[in-house]
Amino acid sequence: MTTTGTTGILPQAPAFNWPDLHQLDPVLGLAAVMLIAVVAASILHRLLKLPRLTGYMLVGALASPLGLGLLRPDDLTGWKPIIDLAIAALVFELGSRLRPRWLIDNPWLAASCVLEGLCAALAVGAVLVWLGAPLLSAVLAATVAASTSPIIVMAAVHELRPRGQVGERLLMMCAINSLLAMLVLKLWPLLAMAGQESLASDAMTWVASALFVICGSFLLGLLGGWILDRATRLSDQRSGTPVLQIALVMLASTLASNWGLSPLLTLLVAGMTARALMGHRLTVEPYLGSAGAALTVLLFISLGVLFTLEGVHMVWPWVIALIAARLVGKGVGVALLARPSGLGWRQAAGLTLALQPMGSLAVLLVADNFRWSEQLPGFDLGVMQALLVAAAVMQLTGPLWLNLGLRRVAGECQEETAHAA
Amino acid sequence: MPLESFSVSEPLTMGVELELQLLDTLEFDLAPRAQDLLRALDKHPGAWDVKPEITRSMIEIGTSIQREHASLRDELHDLCRQLSRGARKLNIGIGGGGTHAFQHWSEQQIYPTERFHYISELYGYLAKQFTVFGQHVHIGVPSGDDALWLLHALSRYVPHFIALSASSPFVQGVDTGFHSARLNSVFAFPLSGRAPFVLTWDEFGQYFEKMTSTGVVQSMKDFYWDIRPKPEFGTIELRVCDTPLTVDKAAALACYLQSLCRYLREERPFEPAEDDYLVYTYNRFQACRFGLDGEIVDPKTKQRQKLRDDIIRTLARVAEHALDLRSLDANNQIRDSLFEGNDATWLRSLRQSGAPLPAMVEAASARWMMK
Repeated sequence: MTTTGTTGILPQAPAFNWPDLHQLDPVLGLAAVMLIAVVAASILHRLLKLPRLTGYMLVGALASPLGLGLLRPDDLTGWKPIIDLAIAALVFELGSRLRPRWLIDNPWLAASCVLEGLCAALAVGAVLVWLGAPLLSAVLAATVAASTSPIIVMAAVHELRPRGQVGERLLMMCAINSLLAMLVLKLWPLLAMAGQESLASDAMTWVASALFVICGSFLLGLLGGWILDRATRLSDQRSGTPVLQIALVMLASTLASNWGLSPLLTLLVAGMTARALMGHRLTVEPYLGSAGAALTVLLFISLGVLFTLEGVHMVWPWVIALIAARLVGKGVGVALLARPSGLGWRQAAGLTLALQPMGSLAVLLVADNFRWSEQLPGFDLGVMQALLVAAAVMQLTGPLWLNLGLRRVAGECQEETAHAA
Repeated sequence: MPLESFSVSEPLTMGVELELQLLDTLEFDLAPRAQDLLRALDKHPGAWDVKPEITRSMIEIGTSIQREHASLRDELHDLCRQLSRGARKLNIGIGGGGTHAFQHWSEQQIYPTERFHYISELYGYLAKQFTVFGQHVHIGVPSGDDALWLLHALSRYVPHFIALSASSPFVQGVDTGFHSARLNSVFAFPLSGRAPFVLTWDEFGQYFEKMTSTGVVQSMKDFYWDIRPKPEFGTIELRVCDTPLTVDKAAALACYLQSLCRYLREERPFEPAEDDYLVYTYNRFQACRFGLDGEIVDPKTKQRQKLRDDIIRTLARVAEHALDLRSLDANNQIRDSLFEGNDATWLRSLRQSGAPLPAMVEAASARWMMK
């Protein structure tokens, strides 16, 4: 007599598999994750005081191949125009919040903006070279590491609402270090060709190309801001203003991408121009509120889906060294000119922490797709992997750094300052 | 607790204190930036003083002791320039005006000092609602008795200073219809209003002892009277003015008060009496509500007259004293402002021309910072 196991008696139960949402419809999949993300982020915020932005990214990472595999980075391709709009809206708002005149009124601040990026880049570059990275790759990684993620910063500023000069300096420094990083990356092919025979003939082409990008982006931004002002005057209806803003942001960002310009520079200039021309008629935040909030959730889930720890077991010492060097570099850069520029020591510490969020935006905005790293020839794979992992970690933890810097250390957020007072 | 003795000071010397708004440069809302600005001005080279006020969105500046208009105006200009330079370095706007047009009192933060915390605990939300901005003018007097005589003699002219300086028509985003809504906030305090009618320093000392024995007051600082004696400085302090939108106006107001005090002390046109205060609150209201167009009642003759006309007549009476004090320019400026309208009128006209409230505050700030 043969005995049959339980499998013989009971009907065969199918093994449980997570639904493969992307096979159904990538739009449906991401929409479902959005729904879950908002609820999950609220619960995490309530229970663990975790910033909501980190919650969205965690849900995205959980849905990514790194977690449950519900979504793949490729699924985001269909959403790219909306994600681009989300990024563009935040960058435009960043531009509209900047007062360039401040850099003239406080030259030490202008110097400080450059110095903190430079110190961070030098520290990261030096550490990577010391660890054995090729010089050019170390320079490239240092350049990306010098920038602070404008999207994490802007989204966190919406949530934290800081009211003080650390928050204001953060926006200024973030814009400047991102722009400088973008410019160096535009010139990267030129650096990568150093030593090659064709350099002399190609150099002029690349310099001309870089000038075209800078001047073209600047002019397009000026035009965009001017058009928004004119259109708002002509439409003469307050309710139409946010629609015009969204249209303008999409237009400027798309044209900049299509013409090979820098959407980052274009949108920053458009924001600054619109603010200068429209003054208090430009109300970016309240009107883009609900639409902007949905875009932000989608954007941060996408950042979570793109989260990568690939090769972390190989490059973790480099990742730790990169993050530590960047922290020290930015700290030294901020501290050196803190007092001449009118910043207290505690505020300088808060600013250093708030500058830590890192992201791939500077490069994302000059790239045609999310796989921007493939567009950089001659980039050492190990260094690139360390940079990607470091960026992912500092992106995921970015809202925590901002919370620490702006709220806990600088005390610029309402309930904290009330207590501190 | 006994009242301190009254310090002797040179008669008719003057000092001006201005409470100023600190603004962010994006939305021009009040910004809690006092500590930043105070640190930036820590080693300023001027003889003037800058210090914190009850909330972190305010600072108070004070001039050194001055004798005439030109030097007072020069010092205020220097102060304004240095303050503006410091503020621009920190991306802060500075503005005059008795109230901020659209700030929310609940968002204000108490400046971290022992006294401000004490006031905040005692008065609760009133302390935050006290985010209003005034000009205080000190006039030197030789003795406590002189101080009390002058204080009560001046009560008849308090509406002049309210109407001339009025610059607070908007509160919490709404046009109140008042020219000076600031004084309504001050009135909420239990020890505001007018000083008791006593004419000697000894009598005042007895009143002060009675008040301290009740535990209601601890020092002279606890009285928020429209005019109060300041024994440690040897002055009387006029506290009814809104902070004007320019330092020139602030200097002119101080010098108008100086020449008025000289007129009262030297000509003694009347003797102050308790009954002068019968119409005091009514006249004060008229000045707050209608500004220069208000109608006041003369406490002696009981005649009604336009405030503007009364100021014109007073300017004529004090002209000789203004000439002796070298402050005729200041009084001429006051006369001109009677026809141009006060700062409240200027703010209202800007608003009526379609400017949003933040744009109006920005324009006022640009005026104060002499951009």
